[in-house]
Amino acid sequence: MRHILFFLFAILQFSTVAQTTINGIVTDSKNHPIVGANIYLDGTYDGTTSNDEGKFSFSTSQKGLQSLVVSYLSYETFTKTAEVSSLKNLTIKLKDDINSLDAVVINAGTFEANEKAKVTVLKPLDIVTTASAAGDFLGALQTLPGTSAVAEDGRLFVRGGEAEETQIFIDGIRVFTPYTPTANNIPTRGRYSPFLFKGITFSTGGYSAEYGQALSSVLLLNTIDEPDQEKTEVSFMTVGLGVGNTQIWGKNSLSINTSYVNLAPYLAAFPDRNSWSKPFQSGSGELIYRHTFQDDSMLKMYGAFSYSDFDVIQEDINFVEGFRFGLQNRNFYLNSSYKNNLGNNWKIETGLSFTNDNSTLKIIDDLVGSNENSMHFKLKLRKQITNRFKFTLGSEYFITNFNENYTPINNQKFDYGFNNQLSATFVETDVFFSKNLAAKIGIRAENSHLLNEFTLSPRASISYKSGKNSQFSLAYGQFYQQPKNEYLKFSQQFSSENTSHLIANFQYSQQNEIFRIEAYFKDYRNLVKFDTEMPNFSSNFNNDGVGFAKGIDVFWRQNQKIKNTDYWISYSFLDTERDYRNYPIAARPNFASKHNFSIVAKHWIENLKSQVGFTYSFASGRSYTNPNETGFLNNETNNYNSLSLNWAYLIDQQKILYFSVNNALGTKNVFGYNYKNTPDSNGFYDRQAIIPNADSFFFVGFFWTISDDKKSNQLNNL
Amino acid sequence: MKKVFLFIGLFFALNATSQSNYEKAMQQAFALWDEGKSTEASQLFERIAAAEKENWLPSFYAATIEILGSFGIKDETILNAKLTKAQEFLDEASSISENNPEIIITQALLNTAYIAFDGQRYGMTMSGKNSQLYAKALQIAPKNPRVILGNAEWNMGAAKFFGQSTKPFCDEIKRAIKIGKEEKNELQFYPKFQLKRAEGVLKKCEE
Repeated sequence: MRHILFFLFAILQFSTVAQTTINGIVTDSKNHPIVGANIYLDGTYDGTTSNDEGKFSFSTSQKGLQSLVVSYLSYETFTKTAEVSSLKNLTIKLKDDINSLDAVVINAGTFEANEKAKVTVLKPLDIVTTASAAGDFLGALQTLPGTSAVAEDGRLFVRGGEAEETQIFIDGIRVFTPYTPTANNIPTRGRYSPFLFKGITFSTGGYSAEYGQALSSVLLLNTIDEPDQEKTEVSFMTVGLGVGNTQIWGKNSLSINTSYVNLAPYLAAFPDRNSWSKPFQSGSGELIYRHTFQDDSMLKMYGAFSYSDFDVIQEDINFVEGFRFGLQNRNFYLNSSYKNNLGNNWKIETGLSFTNDNSTLKIIDDLVGSNENSMHFKLKLRKQITNRFKFTLGSEYFITNFNENYTPINNQKFDYGFNNQLSATFVETDVFFSKNLAAKIGIRAENSHLLNEFTLSPRASISYKSGKNSQFSLAYGQFYQQPKNEYLKFSQQFSSENTSHLIANFQYSQQNEIFRIEAYFKDYRNLVKFDTEMPNFSSNFNNDGVGFAKGIDVFWRQNQKIKNTDYWISYSFLDTERDYRNYPIAARPNFASKHNFSIVAKHWIENLKSQVGFTYSFASGRSYTNPNETGFLNNETNNYNSLSLNWAYLIDQQKILYFSVNNALGTKNVFGYNYKNTPDSNGFYDRQAIIPNADSFFFVGFFWTISDDKKSNQLNNL
Repeated sequence: MKKVFLFIGLFFALNATSQSNYEKAMQQAFALWDEGKSTEASQLFERIAAAEKENWLPSFYAATIEILGSFGIKDETILNAKLTKAQEFLDEASSISENNPEIIITQALLNTAYIAFDGQRYGMTMSGKNSQLYAKALQIAPKNPRVILGNAEWNMGAAKFFGQSTKPFCDEIKRAIKIGKEEKNELQFYPKFQLKRAEGVLKKCEE
């Protein structure tokens, strides 16, 4: 018996000695040896590390079919399943991992403010700590090239496009009424608080086929997936107060934010040029519910409600007693989205948004009431065929129901409006030819029921990495957008407005430094024209308008080269003309200035626990028509200058004092001129400058966060 | 009876070889790590992890080596590649062993590596996450010396930044050291308490 036992153990020992040798060499795509690659048989202990010449050799007792795995950082893992005995003198070429940071990025036209973005133009914190932004993400984006400073408006004007040519999306789902309502010459703000978003992508042209109904630009906002912790946030500001609370239980979380803004105390202390019979006040509430399912799929529901009202009399050269403008607005927005992995490298994303916007306007003595109901439904599927080849396809449906009524003084009410339905389908592929060359090609088809029109928009972009730190990109696209509500409510005999973008981009980036320069050409067709002073029922509309915009955008950012200091500089050159609306000839529109320049700097002062910053903006003059001279848009205003300062002081970990002043030097900026409708006795038209309601604006706020860890603060809210 | 004996013997032999393979490999990996050959050590842990699909320790150590090696790296491409790989290992480990305090605090360490690289960019989202991770780890294992130490160190950093006293955390570190000295782990190769490092942290705390 003992012998048998001995024999058995001996066999056992012996069998482990019967070994096969596996050897070969590991190289990259250019046949350079890779040193230090990990080579092993999957599921065994047998393996080794490649040597200085990329060679490896190890022995194994495994038999039959086995999987050889070769892995190394920044390369795709290689697997080969074969008979162990055949794994000899192998030459294994590892493919570059295209997800690596040094791989090419398709980025013509696009700026990303995202933690995981490969090249950082804006950091998430920048959105809220930029001096001129005053806590509004739109403000921060206006320090990027491609945007024009239209300080009395506040919306985004991109590359010679009107504000309506930019569409905003939250989690891929359209926002129909992104801006808060304001009176003339008072800049608007975004309706949504910036700290809801973990990533912002701002595209100034040439964007993906996934997005339509935007002639110039798309702004993509992604909400946070999971809040970090339960907390209560309180803020006291010179203009109002806010309270927020976050609760987390199991796989659920719920955040509530409420705020109330009232400008009455501020206006009492610092009166502006208007006489307010009811200063601006607004109350808003936001509610976000997130649920993560067992299989990691995710549901987000976001609801926002806001109410604002004001009543103001603004000086106007054509109205001796001033121009009265009163407004009551309530807005409801619901956005829900769901995403899931379907397995087999399929991903699904779907979502729905609904908006109700209701306004009552008092214009002098006339009343205008409007009500808009809009809905967007979207379904998107994404399949990753290989690491280097992906495709996306999707479908979406938009419905807008717009009704307006107009009651002139001592007259009866007029009702008008429209029903708009639009369906769209898109397909797009992302192809990586190598780590240095990638392309994105897509097409979008849209069918408008209102205009009874079918459009096809091809889009393409390609990027080539020319060196370790530099890359070139090209993009082309066709973009269609229905005429805006301002026209559609009076007539529906239109076709869509159209523009094509051609973009060439060069980017140089290295650690803490980025430089980019981008040239573009935009060709506008089918723009709406009409023959009255303002669009109305008696206007004759057509689609014969044309225009172009071309220019160069330059961006430079450097972080921490000067200790504790970040700064960025943007410059845009814009040459644009349009023959649209009621223009008699092609001319540069009033909102477009030729040169825009801005510089933003932030400095952290350790001893004072303070961040100080400034933003300087410059824009060359804007066009206006002087009726005392011949011609149309025949004059130009003086240049626009503004210097804004901010200071955030961290009292302790959870208390922040924030101070900011816009246009600290009180520069008298003029945006244009209002001329009198009738000339005086000498035949001269008198004029009034269009100027901001107040030259400077101060803001002081105290922000307090209450959480268990006693560490969070609202620095990210500022 | 003899047959049974034979069977037990055989079983034992087989089992012993597989057991010793694991032990041998793990010991070899730790030895490589001690010698400063962290790439080889990490790769060996990776190979062991591929063979031991039910054991969280090899992936855990592979992740730990990548994370520790990423502190001080200036090249973002390398940093990102290392931490992405570390995250894969950690995900692997936590899918084997859920709610494991050792894995949770290592996740916090990974986040800290990002914050250390660029605080402005990662600080805003990741410091909140870290506070949450330490709170969770403390809840699961209130007497784990590594958790107590990690949490205290994290809080110390914040207090220092705001010029506040680090005193309250020194006691926590002392407590961690006391528990760490007495700690006995049943599981072979379970993470050990790094006494020397803890003493270093305590010294800094009391400065």
